[in-house]
Amino acid sequence: MSGTAEDRDLLAAEYVLGTLDARASAAVEARLATDPALAEAVAAWTNRLAPLTRLAAPEAPPPDLWDRIEARLPGATPAARPALRRSWFWQGWAIGASLAAAVFAGLAFIPRAEKPAYMTVLVSDRAAPAWIAQADRTGGITLAAVRPAFGEPQSTTPDGRVMQLWGLRPGETAPTSLALLPRTPGRISIPAPALRPVNNMLIEISLEPEGGSPTGRPTGPILFYGRLIEAPPN
Amino acid sequence: MSEQADLAGLLASVATGDRNALKSVYARQSTRLFGIAMAILRDRAAASDVLQDAFLKVWQRAGQFDPSRGPAAAWLGQIVRNTALDAARARGREVLTDDPTLGDGAFEPSVLDDLAEAEDGARLRDCLARLDPKPREGILLAFVHGLSHPEVAERLATPLGTVKSWIRRGLLSLRKCLS
Repeated sequence: MSGTAEDRDLLAAEYVLGTLDARASAAVEARLATDPALAEAVAAWTNRLAPLTRLAAPEAPPPDLWDRIEARLPGATPAARPALRRSWFWQGWAIGASLAAAVFAGLAFIPRAEKPAYMTVLVSDRAAPAWIAQADRTGGITLAAVRPAFGEPQSTTPDGRVMQLWGLRPGETAPTSLALLPRTPGRISIPAPALRPVNNMLIEISLEPEGGSPTGRPTGPILFYGRLIEAPPN
Repeated sequence: MSEQADLAGLLASVATGDRNALKSVYARQSTRLFGIAMAILRDRAAASDVLQDAFLKVWQRAGQFDPSRGPAAAWLGQIVRNTALDAARARGREVLTDDPTLGDGAFEPSVLDDLAEAEDGARLRDCLARLDPKPREGILLAFVHGLSHPEVAERLATPLGTVKSWIRRGLLSLRKCLS
């Protein structure tokens, strides 16, 4: 590699652009700590091209991702398993859970064939409760919209998009599609044979193209999520 | 306090070992950064792993962030892009799809209007607009979707050597135009 400033600048540019192969890229990375001129050039190219990151559509990461990151920070106690850590997710969930407890008393008002075995409150990414979800052991699921008085107004599905329901059982790494939600406002009751509810199962609703996610994974933003808990016996 | 100054301040706190500051960075930036990783990897599980690794790097390297060198958001974006590109390289970058719903189609000129929301973006858009369409497309595919030279060559149905020199000359034109 020749050491001219021009070569160095092009190397920095292609490093930032991402077109170097793995070895060349790793070599640049290794030099950054000891080569201030190269580091300067890389910083300049990072700033020049940074506006292009706006061309990538923002998308919400899975709701439990912060817990996974925090669990890997040095000093995280092994006992503090990610799923048990107190976090914005669980604070949101706790709001939902107390609401769920309040709503439980009123469940008799919702006619249903079978007593729900599991339930949760699906919250938005701002921790506002949006849906009461009930699942029975045979895979039926009922979603009842939480009235706007409890929080933000229920979102409407844009034309050409559909809300898709997903389930992620503890220990699984990829969610399973459960159903596409009809556009019925208020209350939705649908069969979801793939559901197989268990305690602590993550339920998510994502916004997808008409017909559902083309990839079998959520591709759009996660609008609502919550974890199933076993309904108390009565 | 501006968003950038705010983020830079948070990174300074992260450098002292403040976990809450890292959590605040995550709260503000994770949706944008996850989108950047998804544009390259097209796979939520892989993008999640990348965002996890990237935030651990932010935790370790926050002390290296120098606000005089540029905005914090750009620094964070580059850490996520590098981590995502390494993941794409490790799996051979075979993540191209022709599915238009995944946004992997050609970049229409109107897409560049999204850039113009901020002043720096408007300048970059104007400079990109001066490039010939194919070199411009090659640079965008490489940056946004993480395509390698051979993948850009295939996508643009152009010989590899030509694509390499287009991209180099395109980058040099951009630098000149932006200076």
